[in-house]
Amino acid sequence: MSASEAWIAAGTFTGVAFVIAAGTLIAAALLRVRARKHSEARTRTYECGEEPDGGAWVRFHPRYYLVALVFVIFDVEAVFLLPWAVSLRSVGAVALWSMLAFLAILLLGWVYAVKKGALRWV
Amino acid sequence: MQPLLIDLSIAALALLVFVADLLMPSEEKRGLGHLASAGLVLILLLTFVLDMQGDAFGGAYVLDPLALWFKRVFLLAGALAALIALDPAEQAFARRQGEYYLLLLLSLLGMSILSSARELLLIVVSFELMSLPLYVLTAFTKSSKLSGEGALKFYLVGATSLAITLFGLSLVFGATGTTMLPEIAANAGAIRSPLLVLGVLTTLAGLAFKIGAVPFHMWVPDTYEGAATPFVGFLAVAPKAAGFALLVRLYLVAFAPLSVRFQPALLALCVLTLVVGNVLALTQTNIKRLLAYSGIAQIGYMMVGLLAQTGEGVGMLLFYLAAYLFTNVGAFAVVCAVGAASGSDDIRAYRGLSRRNPALALAMLVFLLSLGGIPFVAGFWAKMGIFIAAWHAGLHWLVLLGAGLAVVGVYYYLRIARSLYLDDPEEGAQPITIGAPLRLALIVCGTAVVLIGIWPRPWFDTALDAAKSFLH
Repeated sequence: MSASEAWIAAGTFTGVAFVIAAGTLIAAALLRVRARKHSEARTRTYECGEEPDGGAWVRFHPRYYLVALVFVIFDVEAVFLLPWAVSLRSVGAVALWSMLAFLAILLLGWVYAVKKGALRWV
Repeated sequence: MQPLLIDLSIAALALLVFVADLLMPSEEKRGLGHLASAGLVLILLLTFVLDMQGDAFGGAYVLDPLALWFKRVFLLAGALAALIALDPAEQAFARRQGEYYLLLLLSLLGMSILSSARELLLIVVSFELMSLPLYVLTAFTKSSKLSGEGALKFYLVGATSLAITLFGLSLVFGATGTTMLPEIAANAGAIRSPLLVLGVLTTLAGLAFKIGAVPFHMWVPDTYEGAATPFVGFLAVAPKAAGFALLVRLYLVAFAPLSVRFQPALLALCVLTLVVGNVLALTQTNIKRLLAYSGIAQIGYMMVGLLAQTGEGVGMLLFYLAAYLFTNVGAFAVVCAVGAASGSDDIRAYRGLSRRNPALALAMLVFLLSLGGIPFVAGFWAKMGIFIAAWHAGLHWLVLLGAGLAVVGVYYYLRIARSLYLDDPEEGAQPITIGAPLRLALIVCGTAVVLIGIWPRPWFDTALDAAKSFLH
Protein backbone atom coordinates (compact mmCIF):
# COMPACT_ATOMS: atom_id res chain seq x y z
CA MET A 1 0.00 0.00 0.00
CA SER A 2 1.49 3.34 -1.01
CA ALA A 3 1.39 6.38 1.27
CA SER A 4 -1.48 8.09 -0.53
CA GLU A 5 -3.57 4.90 -0.60
CA ALA A 6 -2.99 4.53 3.13
CA TRP A 7 -4.19 8.08 3.73
CA ILE A 8 -7.30 7.37 1.62
CA ALA A 9 -7.95 4.27 3.73
CA ALA A 10 -7.59 6.25 6.95
CA GLY A 11 -9.85 8.97 5.55
CA THR A 12 -12.47 6.42 4.52
CA PHE A 13 -12.32 4.85 7.99
CA THR A 14 -12.90 8.23 9.63
CA GLY A 15 -15.68 9.03 7.17
CA VAL A 16 -17.48 5.73 7.82
CA ALA A 17 -17.20 6.32 11.57
CA PHE A 18 -18.90 9.70 11.21
CA VAL A 19 -21.57 8.35 8.84
CA ILE A 20 -22.49 5.56 11.26
CA ALA A 21 -22.66 7.92 14.21
CA ALA A 22 -24.70 10.53 12.34
CA GLY A 23 -26.79 7.80 10.65
CA THR A 24 -28.05 6.32 13.91
CA LEU A 25 -29.02 9.76 15.19
CA ILE A 26 -30.84 10.67 11.96
CA ALA A 27 -32.56 7.26 11.77
CA ALA A 28 -33.70 7.60 15.37
CA ALA A 29 -35.08 11.08 14.64
CA LEU A 30 -36.97 9.83 11.54
CA LEU A 31 -38.27 6.52 12.89
CA ARG A 32 -39.19 7.39 16.46
CA VAL A 33 -42.74 7.21 17.71
CA ARG A 34 -43.65 10.26 19.67
CA ALA A 35 -45.82 10.03 22.74
CA ARG A 36 -48.23 12.96 23.07
CA LYS A 37 -47.05 15.71 25.39
CA HIS A 38 -48.26 15.48 29.01
CA SER A 39 -49.46 11.92 28.38
CA GLU A 40 -48.81 9.19 30.91
CA ALA A 41 -46.69 7.18 28.47
CA ARG A 42 -44.21 9.99 28.29
CA THR A 43 -43.32 9.96 31.98
CA ARG A 44 -43.25 6.16 32.40
CA THR A 45 -40.04 4.19 32.91
CA TYR A 46 -38.36 3.66 29.58
CA GLU A 47 -38.62 0.38 27.69
CA CYS A 48 -39.07 -2.46 30.17
CA GLY A 49 -38.73 -3.81 33.67
CA GLU A 50 -40.57 -3.42 36.90
CA GLU A 51 -42.79 -0.45 37.50
CA PRO A 52 -40.76 1.76 39.87
CA ASP A 53 -41.89 1.99 43.47
CA GLY A 54 -40.87 5.20 45.22
CA GLY A 55 -38.30 7.80 44.13
CA ALA A 56 -34.95 6.95 42.56
CA TRP A 57 -33.12 9.49 44.69
CA VAL A 58 -32.95 7.48 47.91
CA ARG A 59 -29.79 7.28 49.96
CA PHE A 60 -27.79 4.09 49.77
CA HIS A 61 -25.78 3.21 52.80
CA PRO A 62 -22.02 3.26 52.05
CA ARG A 63 -21.59 -0.16 53.73
CA TYR A 64 -22.66 -1.84 50.48
CA TYR A 65 -19.88 0.04 48.76
CA LEU A 66 -17.32 -0.97 51.38
CA VAL A 67 -18.27 -4.63 51.17
CA ALA A 68 -17.99 -4.46 47.38
CA LEU A 69 -14.48 -3.01 47.69
CA VAL A 70 -13.35 -5.68 50.12
CA PHE A 71 -14.81 -8.28 47.76
CA VAL A 72 -12.52 -6.96 45.02
CA ILE A 73 -9.49 -7.97 47.11
CA PHE A 74 -10.55 -11.61 47.09
CA ASP A 75 -11.83 -11.41 43.55
CA VAL A 76 -8.44 -10.28 42.23
CA GLU A 77 -6.76 -12.91 44.37
CA ALA A 78 -8.86 -15.66 42.78
CA VAL A 79 -8.21 -14.33 39.27
CA PHE A 80 -4.46 -14.58 39.81
CA LEU A 81 -4.47 -17.81 41.81
CA LEU A 82 -6.18 -19.92 39.18
CA PRO A 83 -3.61 -19.62 36.32
CA TRP A 84 -0.84 -19.73 38.92
CA ALA A 85 -2.10 -23.03 40.34
CA VAL A 86 -2.38 -24.53 36.86
CA SER A 87 1.17 -23.61 35.81
CA LEU A 88 2.92 -23.87 39.19
CA ARG A 89 4.53 -27.25 38.46
CA SER A 90 6.19 -26.04 35.25
CA VAL A 91 7.35 -22.63 36.52
CA GLY A 92 8.77 -23.87 39.80
CA ALA A 93 9.95 -22.32 43.04
CA VAL A 94 10.13 -18.72 41.76
CA ALA A 95 6.38 -18.73 41.13
CA LEU A 96 5.72 -20.13 44.60
CA TRP A 97 7.63 -17.37 46.37
CA SER A 98 6.30 -14.60 44.11
CA MET A 99 2.76 -15.69 44.83
CA LEU A 100 3.42 -15.89 48.57
CA ALA A 101 4.77 -12.30 48.49
CA PHE A 102 1.71 -11.21 46.52
CA LEU A 103 -0.64 -12.93 48.98
CA ALA A 104 1.18 -11.32 51.92
CA ILE A 105 0.64 -7.86 50.42
CA LEU A 106 -2.99 -8.71 49.70
CA LEU A 107 -3.41 -9.93 53.26
CA LEU A 108 -2.17 -6.54 54.48
CA GLY A 109 -5.00 -4.91 52.56
CA TRP A 110 -7.47 -7.23 54.23
CA VAL A 111 -6.02 -6.54 57.71
CA TYR A 112 -6.33 -2.84 56.92
CA ALA A 113 -10.01 -3.24 56.02
CA VAL A 114 -10.76 -5.16 59.22
CA LYS A 115 -8.76 -2.79 61.40
CA LYS A 116 -10.49 0.30 59.97
CA GLY A 117 -13.88 -1.34 60.57
CA ALA A 118 -14.87 -1.75 56.93
CA LEU A 119 -16.52 -5.11 57.74
CA ARG A 120 -18.48 -3.86 60.74
CA TRP A 121 -22.14 -3.78 59.72
CA VAL A 122 -23.13 -0.55 61.44
CA MET B 1 17.50 -7.47 40.52
CA GLN B 2 20.02 -4.65 40.91
CA PRO B 3 18.44 -2.07 38.58
CA LEU B 4 15.09 -2.56 40.35
CA LEU B 5 16.54 -1.83 43.77
CA ILE B 6 15.37 1.80 44.02
CA ASP B 7 11.79 0.99 43.07
CA LEU B 8 11.71 -2.06 45.32
CA SER B 9 12.93 0.13 48.20
CA ILE B 10 10.15 2.64 47.58
CA ALA B 11 7.58 -0.17 47.51
CA ALA B 12 9.02 -1.61 50.73
CA LEU B 13 8.88 1.82 52.37
CA ALA B 14 5.24 2.20 51.33
CA LEU B 15 4.40 -1.18 52.89
CA LEU B 16 6.36 -0.25 56.01
CA VAL B 17 4.35 2.96 56.42
CA PHE B 18 1.18 0.96 55.80
CA VAL B 19 1.97 -1.60 58.52
CA ALA B 20 3.18 1.09 60.93
CA ASP B 21 -0.11 2.91 60.41
CA LEU B 22 -2.02 -0.22 61.45
CA LEU B 23 0.12 -0.84 64.53
CA MET B 24 0.48 2.72 65.85
CA PRO B 25 -1.97 4.16 68.34
CA SER B 26 -3.83 7.06 66.75
CA GLU B 27 -2.13 9.70 68.94
CA GLU B 28 1.34 8.95 67.56
CA LYS B 29 0.60 9.00 63.82
CA ARG B 30 3.01 11.90 63.45
CA GLY B 31 5.83 9.37 63.33
CA LEU B 32 4.58 8.19 59.92
CA GLY B 33 5.57 11.45 58.26
CA HIS B 34 9.03 11.25 59.81
CA LEU B 35 9.31 7.63 58.67
CA ALA B 36 8.26 8.46 55.11
CA SER B 37 10.58 11.44 54.64
CA ALA B 38 13.54 9.79 56.39
CA GLY B 39 13.05 6.65 54.30
CA LEU B 40 12.96 8.65 51.07
CA VAL B 41 16.14 10.53 52.00
CA LEU B 42 17.80 7.19 52.75
CA ILE B 43 16.80 5.81 49.33
CA LEU B 44 18.06 9.03 47.75
CA LEU B 45 21.46 8.53 49.39
CA LEU B 46 21.39 4.92 48.17
CA THR B 47 21.20 6.16 44.56
CA PHE B 48 24.52 7.96 45.05
CA VAL B 49 26.30 5.14 46.85
CA LEU B 50 25.40 2.07 44.79
CA ASP B 51 25.97 1.62 41.10
CA MET B 52 22.82 -0.14 39.93
CA GLN B 53 22.63 0.73 36.26
CA GLY B 54 21.41 -1.88 33.85
CA ASP B 55 18.13 -3.25 32.52
CA ALA B 56 15.56 -5.83 33.57
CA PHE B 57 12.61 -7.76 32.13
CA GLY B 58 14.21 -8.14 28.73
CA GLY B 59 14.86 -4.42 28.30
CA ALA B 60 11.33 -3.30 29.25
CA TYR B 61 12.78 -1.64 32.33
CA VAL B 62 16.01 0.30 32.32
CA LEU B 63 18.02 2.20 34.89
CA ASP B 64 20.14 4.62 32.87
CA PRO B 65 21.51 8.06 33.87
CA LEU B 66 18.27 9.67 32.60
CA ALA B 67 16.05 7.46 34.79
CA LEU B 68 18.40 7.99 37.72
CA TRP B 69 18.15 11.79 37.41
CA PHE B 70 14.35 11.63 37.36
CA LYS B 71 14.24 9.19 40.28
CA ARG B 72 16.35 11.59 42.35
CA VAL B 73 13.99 14.46 41.50
CA PHE B 74 10.97 12.35 42.55
CA LEU B 75 12.61 11.17 45.77
CA LEU B 76 13.58 14.71 46.75
CA ALA B 77 10.13 16.08 45.93
CA GLY B 78 8.53 13.25 47.93
CA ALA B 79 10.78 13.74 50.96
CA LEU B 80 10.16 17.51 50.98
CA ALA B 81 6.40 17.05 50.50
CA ALA B 82 6.25 14.58 53.41
CA LEU B 83 8.20 17.04 55.56
CA ILE B 84 6.01 20.02 54.66
CA ALA B 85 2.82 18.05 55.31
CA LEU B 86 3.77 17.16 58.89
CA ASP B 87 2.26 20.09 60.76
CA PRO B 88 -0.75 20.93 58.57
CA ALA B 89 -1.59 17.20 58.46
CA GLU B 90 -1.74 17.19 62.23
CA GLN B 91 -4.47 19.82 62.11
CA ALA B 92 -6.41 18.96 58.98
CA PHE B 93 -6.51 15.16 58.86
CA ALA B 94 -4.83 13.81 61.96
CA ARG B 95 -6.63 10.47 61.83
CA ARG B 96 -5.87 9.81 58.17
CA GLN B 97 -2.15 10.57 58.06
CA GLY B 98 -1.32 6.94 57.36
CA GLU B 99 -3.37 6.99 54.16
CA TYR B 100 -1.85 10.33 53.15
CA TYR B 101 1.74 9.11 53.29
CA LEU B 102 0.89 5.71 51.82
CA LEU B 103 -0.78 7.30 48.79
CA LEU B 104 2.10 9.75 48.39
CA LEU B 105 4.60 6.89 48.36
CA LEU B 106 2.55 4.78 45.94
CA SER B 107 2.28 7.71 43.53
CA LEU B 108 6.02 8.17 43.86
CA LEU B 109 6.54 4.48 43.06
CA GLY B 110 4.47 4.92 39.90
CA MET B 111 6.56 7.89 38.77
CA SER B 112 9.78 6.10 39.55
CA ILE B 113 8.81 3.06 37.46
CA LEU B 114 7.54 5.35 34.70
CA SER B 115 10.91 7.07 34.38
CA SER B 116 12.48 3.65 33.73
CA ALA B 117 9.79 2.14 31.50
CA ARG B 118 10.73 1.30 27.93
CA GLU B 119 7.65 -0.72 27.04
CA LEU B 120 4.17 0.61 26.26
CA LEU B 121 2.20 -1.58 28.70
CA LEU B 122 4.59 -0.90 31.56
CA ILE B 123 4.31 2.80 30.74
CA VAL B 124 0.51 2.74 30.94
CA VAL B 125 0.40 0.72 34.18
CA SER B 126 2.99 2.86 35.97
CA PHE B 127 1.29 6.00 34.63
CA GLU B 128 -1.93 4.94 36.34
CA LEU B 129 -0.13 3.94 39.52
CA MET B 130 1.14 7.52 39.57
CA SER B 131 -2.20 9.18 38.74
CA LEU B 132 -4.78 7.33 40.85
CA PRO B 133 -3.29 8.25 44.26
CA LEU B 134 -2.96 11.87 43.08
CA TYR B 135 -6.73 12.13 42.51
CA VAL B 136 -7.40 10.84 46.03
CA LEU B 137 -4.78 13.13 47.57
CA THR B 138 -6.33 16.17 45.85
CA ALA B 139 -9.66 15.35 47.53
CA PHE B 140 -8.01 14.68 50.87
CA THR B 141 -9.48 17.65 52.76
CA LYS B 142 -12.92 16.06 52.71
CA SER B 143 -14.71 18.95 54.38
CA SER B 144 -13.66 21.49 51.74
CA LYS B 145 -15.93 21.92 48.73
CA LEU B 146 -13.12 23.41 46.64
CA SER B 147 -11.03 20.32 47.30
CA GLY B 148 -13.77 18.03 46.01
CA GLU B 149 -14.33 20.23 42.96
CA GLY B 150 -10.62 20.36 42.15
CA ALA B 151 -10.30 16.59 42.56
CA LEU B 152 -13.29 15.84 40.35
CA LYS B 153 -12.00 18.09 37.56
CA PHE B 154 -8.55 16.55 37.88
CA TYR B 155 -10.01 13.04 37.82
CA LEU B 156 -12.27 13.60 34.80
CA VAL B 157 -9.53 15.28 32.79
CA GLY B 158 -7.03 12.63 33.89
CA ALA B 159 -9.30 9.75 32.90
CA THR B 160 -10.10 11.34 29.54
CA SER B 161 -6.46 12.06 28.80
CA LEU B 162 -5.53 8.49 29.70
CA ALA B 163 -8.15 7.21 27.26
CA ILE B 164 -6.73 9.47 24.54
CA THR B 165 -3.16 8.39 25.31
CA LEU B 166 -4.17 4.72 25.28
CA PHE B 167 -5.93 5.14 21.95
CA GLY B 168 -2.83 6.78 20.51
CA LEU B 169 -0.52 4.08 21.86
CA SER B 170 -2.79 1.35 20.49
CA LEU B 171 -2.45 2.91 17.03
CA VAL B 172 1.33 3.02 17.47
CA PHE B 173 1.29 -0.65 18.44
CA GLY B 174 -0.97 -1.43 15.49
CA ALA B 175 1.37 0.28 13.04
CA THR B 176 4.68 -0.99 14.40
CA GLY B 177 3.62 -4.39 15.76
CA THR B 178 5.69 -4.05 18.93
CA THR B 179 5.39 -2.48 22.35
CA MET B 180 9.12 -2.16 23.01
CA LEU B 181 10.36 1.42 22.58
CA PRO B 182 13.79 0.51 21.12
CA GLU B 183 12.09 -1.64 18.45
CA ILE B 184 9.59 1.11 17.69
CA ALA B 185 12.52 3.49 17.25
CA ALA B 186 14.21 1.06 14.86
CA ASN B 187 11.04 0.44 12.79
CA ALA B 188 9.32 3.82 12.84
CA GLY B 189 11.43 5.38 10.08
CA ALA B 190 10.50 2.71 7.52
CA ILE B 191 6.74 2.69 8.20
CA ARG B 192 4.69 4.90 5.92
CA SER B 193 1.38 4.26 7.65
CA PRO B 194 -0.79 7.26 8.58
CA LEU B 195 -1.92 5.23 11.59
CA LEU B 196 1.49 5.74 13.14
CA VAL B 197 1.38 9.52 12.62
CA LEU B 198 -2.16 9.62 14.02
CA GLY B 199 -1.07 7.54 17.01
CA VAL B 200 1.95 9.72 17.72
CA LEU B 201 -0.12 12.93 17.57
CA THR B 202 -2.99 11.52 19.69
CA THR B 203 -0.54 10.34 22.34
CA LEU B 204 0.97 13.83 22.37
CA ALA B 205 -2.47 15.36 23.04
CA GLY B 206 -3.04 12.95 25.94
CA LEU B 207 0.34 13.72 27.48
CA ALA B 208 -0.18 17.46 27.02
CA PHE B 209 -3.19 17.15 29.36
CA LYS B 210 -0.96 15.54 31.96
CA ILE B 211 1.78 18.16 31.92
CA GLY B 212 -0.83 20.93 31.72
CA ALA B 213 0.22 22.47 28.40
CA VAL B 214 -2.15 25.04 26.84
CA PRO B 215 -4.87 24.38 25.50
CA PHE B 216 -5.11 21.35 27.79
CA HIS B 217 -4.48 23.30 31.00
CA MET B 218 -8.00 24.12 32.30
CA TRP B 219 -7.81 21.75 35.23
CA VAL B 220 -4.51 23.07 36.62
CA PRO B 221 -5.60 26.27 38.46
CA ASP B 222 -8.76 24.74 39.92
CA THR B 223 -6.94 21.63 41.12
CA TYR B 224 -4.11 23.62 42.70
CA GLU B 225 -6.56 25.99 44.37
CA GLY B 226 -8.65 23.17 45.82
CA ALA B 227 -5.98 20.72 46.92
CA ALA B 228 -4.33 20.89 50.33
CA THR B 229 -1.35 23.29 50.01
CA PRO B 230 1.38 20.97 51.37
CA PHE B 231 0.46 18.52 48.63
CA VAL B 232 0.30 21.08 45.80
CA GLY B 233 4.07 21.64 45.88
CA PHE B 234 4.47 17.94 45.10
CA LEU B 235 1.64 17.91 42.55
CA ALA B 236 3.13 20.87 40.71
CA VAL B 237 6.56 19.29 40.30
CA ALA B 238 6.72 15.50 40.44
CA PRO B 239 3.93 14.44 38.02
CA LYS B 240 5.09 17.11 35.56
CA ALA B 241 8.63 15.76 35.74
CA ALA B 242 7.24 12.26 35.15
CA GLY B 243 5.35 13.56 32.11
CA PHE B 244 8.59 14.98 30.72
CA ALA B 245 10.43 11.71 31.39
CA LEU B 246 7.82 10.01 29.24
CA LEU B 247 7.92 12.73 26.55
CA VAL B 248 11.70 12.39 26.29
CA ARG B 249 11.58 8.59 26.05
CA LEU B 250 8.72 8.58 23.54
CA TYR B 251 9.29 11.62 21.37
CA LEU B 252 13.05 12.06 21.39
CA VAL B 253 13.91 8.36 21.21
CA ALA B 254 11.10 6.04 20.11
CA PHE B 255 9.30 8.39 17.70
CA ALA B 256 12.42 10.36 16.75
CA PRO B 257 12.28 9.29 13.05
CA LEU B 258 8.86 10.98 12.82
CA SER B 259 10.01 14.30 14.26
CA VAL B 260 9.06 16.15 11.05
CA ARG B 261 5.43 15.14 11.70
CA PHE B 262 5.03 16.04 15.37
CA GLN B 263 7.47 18.94 15.61
CA PRO B 264 4.89 21.55 14.41
CA ALA B 265 2.30 20.30 16.94
CA LEU B 266 4.83 20.42 19.75
CA LEU B 267 5.93 23.88 18.66
CA ALA B 268 2.34 25.18 18.64
CA LEU B 269 1.72 23.72 22.13
CA CYS B 270 4.94 25.31 23.39
CA VAL B 271 4.18 28.80 22.05
CA LEU B 272 0.58 28.71 23.34
CA THR B 273 1.71 27.48 26.74
CA LEU B 274 4.34 30.21 27.05
CA VAL B 275 2.00 33.03 26.02
CA VAL B 276 -1.20 31.98 27.81
CA GLY B 277 0.56 30.92 31.04
CA ASN B 278 2.44 34.19 31.39
CA VAL B 279 -0.43 36.46 30.35
CA LEU B 280 -3.11 34.82 32.52
CA ALA B 281 -0.81 34.86 35.55
CA LEU B 282 -0.86 38.68 35.36
CA THR B 283 -4.48 38.98 36.52
CA GLN B 284 -4.53 36.42 39.36
CA THR B 285 -5.30 37.52 42.91
CA ASN B 286 -5.02 34.10 44.56
CA ILE B 287 -1.44 33.01 45.17
CA LYS B 288 -2.13 29.34 44.39
CA ARG B 289 -3.81 30.21 41.08
CA LEU B 290 -0.96 32.59 40.28
CA LEU B 291 1.60 29.87 40.93
CA ALA B 292 -0.54 27.49 38.85
CA TYR B 293 -0.43 29.80 35.81
CA SER B 294 3.24 30.54 36.42
CA GLY B 295 3.74 26.76 36.56
CA ILE B 296 2.05 26.46 33.17
CA ALA B 297 4.47 29.08 31.83
CA GLN B 298 7.41 27.15 33.32
CA ILE B 299 6.16 24.02 31.52
CA GLY B 300 6.37 26.10 28.33
CA TYR B 301 10.04 26.90 28.96
CA MET B 302 10.76 23.22 29.59
CA MET B 303 9.07 22.35 26.30
CA VAL B 304 11.53 24.70 24.56
CA GLY B 305 14.28 22.36 25.80
CA LEU B 306 12.35 19.39 24.43
CA LEU B 307 11.87 21.12 21.08
CA ALA B 308 15.61 21.58 20.62
CA GLN B 309 15.72 17.77 20.15
CA THR B 310 19.39 17.66 21.08
CA GLY B 311 21.31 16.18 23.97
CA GLU B 312 22.03 19.72 25.13
CA GLY B 313 18.31 20.58 25.12
CA VAL B 314 17.40 17.53 27.19
CA GLY B 315 20.29 18.21 29.57
CA MET B 316 19.03 21.74 30.15
CA LEU B 317 15.51 20.36 30.60
CA LEU B 318 16.84 18.07 33.35
CA PHE B 319 18.65 21.00 34.96
CA TYR B 320 15.47 23.11 34.73
CA LEU B 321 13.47 20.37 36.46
CA ALA B 322 15.93 20.27 39.37
CA ALA B 323 15.91 24.07 39.76
CA TYR B 324 12.12 24.13 39.43
CA LEU B 325 11.79 21.39 42.05
CA PHE B 326 13.54 23.38 44.79
CA THR B 327 11.98 26.68 43.77
CA ASN B 328 8.39 25.55 43.44
CA VAL B 329 8.27 23.21 46.44
CA GLY B 330 9.84 26.02 48.46
CA ALA B 331 7.34 28.60 47.22
CA PHE B 332 4.41 26.33 48.08
CA ALA B 333 5.94 25.70 51.53
CA VAL B 334 5.80 29.48 52.12
CA VAL B 335 2.20 29.55 50.82
CA CYS B 336 1.47 26.74 53.26
CA ALA B 337 2.90 28.70 56.22
CA VAL B 338 1.14 31.97 55.32
CA GLY B 339 -2.11 30.17 54.51
CA ALA B 340 -2.08 28.41 57.89
CA ALA B 341 -1.39 31.68 59.73
CA SER B 342 -3.83 33.97 57.93
CA GLY B 343 -6.40 31.45 56.69
CA SER B 344 -6.28 32.92 53.18
CA ASP B 345 -4.44 32.35 49.92
CA ASP B 346 -5.15 35.86 48.65
CA ILE B 347 -2.03 37.75 47.58
CA ARG B 348 -3.06 40.52 49.98
CA ALA B 349 -2.07 38.19 52.82
CA TYR B 350 1.55 38.64 51.67
CA ARG B 351 1.65 42.38 52.27
CA GLY B 352 4.38 43.29 54.73
CA LEU B 353 5.34 39.69 55.31
CA SER B 354 8.85 40.89 56.16
CA ARG B 355 7.48 42.44 59.34
CA ARG B 356 5.53 39.34 60.34
CA ASN B 357 8.36 36.87 59.73
CA PRO B 358 11.55 38.22 58.05
CA ALA B 359 13.03 34.79 57.35
CA LEU B 360 9.85 33.61 55.61
CA ALA B 361 9.76 36.79 53.51
CA LEU B 362 13.41 36.32 52.52
CA ALA B 363 12.74 32.71 51.50
CA MET B 364 9.74 33.79 49.41
CA LEU B 365 11.85 36.52 47.80
CA VAL B 366 14.51 33.99 46.80
CA PHE B 367 11.90 31.63 45.32
CA LEU B 368 10.14 34.44 43.42
CA LEU B 369 13.46 35.66 41.99
CA SER B 370 14.25 32.11 40.92
CA LEU B 371 10.83 31.65 39.30
CA GLY B 372 11.30 34.95 37.48
CA GLY B 373 14.81 34.02 36.33
CA ILE B 374 16.72 36.88 37.94
CA PRO B 375 20.52 36.38 37.80
CA PHE B 376 22.37 34.35 40.41
CA VAL B 377 19.57 32.18 41.68
CA ALA B 378 18.81 28.74 40.26
CA GLY B 379 15.99 29.81 37.93
CA PHE B 380 18.25 32.17 36.00
CA TRP B 381 20.68 29.45 34.90
CA ALA B 382 17.75 27.15 34.13
CA LYS B 383 16.17 29.63 31.67
CA MET B 384 19.58 30.64 30.35
CA GLY B 385 20.58 27.03 29.66
CA ILE B 386 17.28 26.24 27.92
CA PHE B 387 17.55 29.35 25.71
CA ILE B 388 21.18 28.67 24.77
CA ALA B 389 20.37 25.05 23.87
CA ALA B 390 17.41 26.18 21.75
CA TRP B 391 19.56 28.86 20.06
CA HIS B 392 22.15 26.22 19.12
CA ALA B 393 19.32 24.10 17.70
CA GLY B 394 18.29 27.01 15.45
CA LEU B 395 15.05 28.00 17.21
CA HIS B 396 16.02 31.68 17.22
CA TRP B 397 12.57 33.28 17.16
CA LEU B 398 11.30 30.93 19.88
CA VAL B 399 14.16 32.01 22.13
CA LEU B 400 13.34 35.69 21.52
CA LEU B 401 9.67 35.05 22.27
CA GLY B 402 10.56 33.13 25.45
CA ALA B 403 12.92 35.86 26.62
CA GLY B 404 10.24 38.52 26.01
CA LEU B 405 7.67 36.56 27.97
CA ALA B 406 10.17 35.98 30.78
CA VAL B 407 10.14 39.77 31.24
CA VAL B 408 6.33 39.63 31.59
CA GLY B 409 6.89 36.90 34.19
CA VAL B 410 9.31 39.06 36.14
CA TYR B 411 6.54 41.68 36.46
CA TYR B 412 4.06 39.46 38.29
CA TYR B 413 6.68 37.79 40.46
CA LEU B 414 8.25 41.07 41.51
CA ARG B 415 4.82 42.60 42.19
CA ILE B 416 4.48 40.10 45.06
CA ALA B 417 8.12 40.46 46.07
CA ARG B 418 7.61 44.22 46.32
CA SER B 419 4.56 43.92 48.52
CA LEU B 420 6.42 41.51 50.81
CA TYR B 421 8.75 44.32 51.81
CA LEU B 422 7.23 47.68 50.95
CA ASP B 423 3.52 47.35 51.83
CA ASP B 424 2.12 47.53 55.35
CA PRO B 425 0.65 44.34 56.79
CA GLU B 426 -3.15 44.14 56.93
CA GLU B 427 -4.92 45.34 60.08
CA GLY B 428 -4.39 43.03 63.05
CA ALA B 429 -1.91 40.72 61.28
CA GLN B 430 0.08 38.69 63.80
CA PRO B 431 3.72 37.53 63.49
CA ILE B 432 3.91 34.11 61.84
CA THR B 433 5.62 31.18 63.55
CA ILE B 434 6.43 28.01 61.66
CA GLY B 435 7.14 24.48 62.88
CA ALA B 436 10.52 22.77 62.71
CA PRO B 437 9.75 20.38 59.76
CA LEU B 438 8.53 23.21 57.55
CA ARG B 439 11.55 25.31 58.54
CA LEU B 440 13.87 22.45 57.58
CA ALA B 441 12.17 22.10 54.19
CA LEU B 442 12.44 25.86 53.59
CA ILE B 443 16.12 25.87 54.54
CA VAL B 444 16.86 22.95 52.18
CA CYS B 445 14.99 24.54 49.26
CA GLY B 446 16.35 28.05 49.86
CA THR B 447 19.95 26.88 50.24
CA ALA B 448 19.70 24.71 47.13
CA VAL B 449 18.26 27.56 45.05
CA VAL B 450 21.03 29.94 46.13
CA LEU B 451 23.78 27.31 45.81
CA ILE B 452 22.73 26.27 42.31
CA GLY B 453 22.59 29.98 41.47
CA ILE B 454 26.13 30.65 42.63
CA TRP B 455 27.76 27.42 41.49
CA PRO B 456 25.71 25.70 38.77
CA ARG B 457 28.67 23.94 37.15
CA PRO B 458 28.37 20.42 38.73
CA TRP B 459 24.60 20.37 38.12
CA PHE B 460 25.04 21.37 34.47
CA ASP B 461 27.70 18.70 33.96
CA THR B 462 25.69 15.87 35.52
CA ALA B 463 22.55 16.85 33.61
CA LEU B 464 24.40 17.04 30.30
CA ASP B 465 26.10 13.68 30.93
CA ALA B 466 22.74 12.08 31.68
CA ALA B 467 21.20 13.51 28.50
CA LYS B 468 24.15 12.82 26.22
CA SER B 469 24.24 9.19 27.35
CA PHE B 470 21.43 8.53 24.89
CA LEU B 471 21.10 11.57 22.63
CA HIS B 472 23.71 13.67 20.85
